[in-house]
Amino acid sequence: MEYVKLSGFRLDGRRPTEMRHIHAEVGAVANADGSASFEMGNTKVIAAVYGPKEVENKGQQIGNKALVRCEYSMANFSTGDRARRPKGDRRSTELSLVIRQTMEACILTHLMPRSQIDIYVQVLQADGGTRSACINAATLALADAGIPMCDLVTSCAAGYLNSTPLLDLNYLEDSAGGPDVTVGLLSKLDKVTLLQMDAKLPLDIFENVMQLAIEGCKAIANLIRQVLLENTKKLEYLRGT
Amino acid sequence: MVGLSAGEKNFIRGGIEQDLRADGRQRQDFRPILIETGVIPQANGSARVRFGATDVIASVKAELGKPNPLQPGRGKVAIYVDCSPTAAPAFERGGGEELSTELSAALQKCLLGGKSGAGAGIDLSSLMVLEGKVCWDLYIDGLVVSSDGNLLDALAAAIKAALTNTGIPKVDVGVGASPDEQPEVNISDEEFLQFDTSAVPVIITLTKVGREYIVDATSDEESQMSSAVSVSVNSHGKVCGLIKRGGAGLDASVILDMVSAARHVSQKLIPLLDSEIDAAEAASLAGQGSDVDP
Amino acid sequence: MRDLHLQQLRLNQTQRVRLQTALQKLQDVSPSSAAATVAVADNIPVNHEDGVLKGHGTSELDGQVVATLCGVVERVNKLVYVRTLRARYKPEIGDIIVGRVIEVATKHWRLEINFSQDAVLMLSSMNLPDGIQRRRTATDELNMRSIFEENDVICAEVRGFQHDGSLHLQARSLKYGKLKSGQLLTVPPYLIKRRKQHFHHLENYGVDLILGCNGFIWIGEHVETSNGVMEGDGGNKVEESNESSSHSVPLGEKGQRLMSLETRQHICQIANAVRVLSTLGFSLTTEGILEAAKASISLGINTKDMLGAEFHVQTAEREVGRRMSLLRKKG
Repeated sequence: MEYVKLSGFRLDGRRPTEMRHIHAEVGAVANADGSASFEMGNTKVIAAVYGPKEVENKGQQIGNKALVRCEYSMANFSTGDRARRPKGDRRSTELSLVIRQTMEACILTHLMPRSQIDIYVQVLQADGGTRSACINAATLALADAGIPMCDLVTSCAAGYLNSTPLLDLNYLEDSAGGPDVTVGLLSKLDKVTLLQMDAKLPLDIFENVMQLAIEGCKAIANLIRQVLLENTKKLEYLRGT
Repeated sequence: MVGLSAGEKNFIRGGIEQDLRADGRQRQDFRPILIETGVIPQANGSARVRFGATDVIASVKAELGKPNPLQPGRGKVAIYVDCSPTAAPAFERGGGEELSTELSAALQKCLLGGKSGAGAGIDLSSLMVLEGKVCWDLYIDGLVVSSDGNLLDALAAAIKAALTNTGIPKVDVGVGASPDEQPEVNISDEEFLQFDTSAVPVIITLTKVGREYIVDATSDEESQMSSAVSVSVNSHGKVCGLIKRGGAGLDASVILDMVSAARHVSQKLIPLLDSEIDAAEAASLAGQGSDVDP
Repeated sequence: MRDLHLQQLRLNQTQRVRLQTALQKLQDVSPSSAAATVAVADNIPVNHEDGVLKGHGTSELDGQVVATLCGVVERVNKLVYVRTLRARYKPEIGDIIVGRVIEVATKHWRLEINFSQDAVLMLSSMNLPDGIQRRRTATDELNMRSIFEENDVICAEVRGFQHDGSLHLQARSLKYGKLKSGQLLTVPPYLIKRRKQHFHHLENYGVDLILGCNGFIWIGEHVETSNGVMEGDGGNKVEESNESSSHSVPLGEKGQRLMSLETRQHICQIANAVRVLSTLGFSLTTEGILEAAKASISLGINTKDMLGAEFHVQTAEREVGRRMSLLRKKG
């Protein structure tokens, strides 16, 4: 199948290195300490953060840093064809773990000893790139909760189809069977914290694809930073003196 | 969930007794209701409904299926509800399973009209494509995003709104297929059929606290309930389903009282919901237009 | 409207425009702190020659000072720190807080106060109901539940951090203690400014308002604390709690005292004023809360309708007027 037309455009009309429309917003859940929603095209995710708070299970308490937990869930209606999947299936478990490890790497956990931070990510609509969208939503929610972080971690995916590196695959492109490289980046420190690929690629092409994903991460980091700044300014002027 | 102190409990109970609840509402007042439709573009229909801090999403997905041989003239509808852990940490790792099941069962009872489907709020025969061969299966999914009491009423309202928002593609059935074969179908991507949702009932839950009962209870108020009766009422004032929850026993006469109170409340709630849903539909259409224009 | 809380309002077209105009004006009249606003990982410009003390919300990377939180950069002499807005409570010694008892443990209570850990109130940091300073006896330990039990809402003062990192509270005055007959609201702590006075007896309303620095706000029926009324009250507390448990089911049926409808009305009015201000993100001061409550009365708005769109818009417009007149006075 032709994923990149002769005209150079993709099936949804994007250029190969173009991201889908992004909409990021702080505040999505009323009772959480921090929350956010993140949309990339049709992929729609919300994240809620509770904490830092007293550790519920005293056995899990860590003496010199915070305990970070994460649960990923997918709404029944989130996928194209509706499938009822049991809670806690393997894919969810793996994703929960990936998100937790990625977020834990940038949270300054040593500043909140003996406490617990819960991150919940809920996919409302899945159209490729859910992994990245979840991480971006979680970053926004953590910043909204006022949890100290060494950097903003953002994530973006890139793939390789019809001999063309493509940024931010949608579901159709993702299911084409080509490689899908997901990168998580600490943009300020310029360090990759998450890297996953699910097919084979020659090394020189892999480098290009990864570089493309990194560029995507940087663009998202800029956008997230803007959203956070705007939000902070607004909170400050509304509060008044 | 955090418990309440004796003083707070007394304040809530006293407020219900004196007909002035903690946020100034009277016993039969709802919180401000907010409806958005078309929030899940990939679904055939969807809606997000907020009652105060309670926030739920309902989506409708339609798939072609085969009718039940015992009821060849009808389509099928299934309702599932999930409680997202975002709503409360207590819902994580399947912690919301029990509540989800309870809500799903209650919605099925109140909206689908039992096994026969006789009292169903949705006309199941309208889901028929070819008798005995092809019908639409509707999957209605609810998701609790944020929880501050009265989830059932909010979910029912969201389902009503999502059904109004639903467009089912028009289907042409290939003619000349022999009676034994599965006929060929042609799904249109331009023509859509809308549902008539005027018959879809609303659910009104009356929560009994002390001697009185209230509508649209918050979580704090629900923590003080002795029992609750959820009544589903349609626009003709007919009772379509009823569920009693909570441990304490009720006099039959009290239940009848509560049912008639629910009918009374429904006469205000149904027109309110209808106009909110219409406004949301208009806004969602306008929103689609503005999406094109950046 | 992007804000979550304002999304909960059903604004019609005119109300939306009015609210946006009002919010825009608030932005225009606010002193420009835009330059000092930072997001996570932003550089904070500093003059290294003068020497820099890095405070809360900052870290160092390649010789640069970097923000670890979103907020506003504040500078006090050499100290540079980020003042956060939305975040859990950050305790300071002497803060007056409202908290909820989570656990009655040996010689102490544990309280939820919207901090990253439960706070500890030692029996020894507590004035006993008889008001006499003396050594705590084994009997006192056994009677701890008669002072505070699980789920009780109490008011106390931050005493400080102990060596093990736990946060301790104290309640060595008659004004501290159990809060009864009222409602507890929670707001983001950044909306509450530290002031000399956090207890407010709203005399015209017969209502006690306690603005806890941790974002917990208590609004309840006024209780007289002077002349040892509290002490007498505490003396028969055991009896009283027995009584209330036996009466808990047949509410108000006999004997159980209901507060006057008028007081209840006032509590709800004040509470809704707090809700409106916090939805709009305005800082919560007694004056602001009282003004909102008064406005609702003078405009003849039902208490429950205070949570509707129109009153929110009116409150925002009133706030514009208030801040403008403040500016005029200064200028």
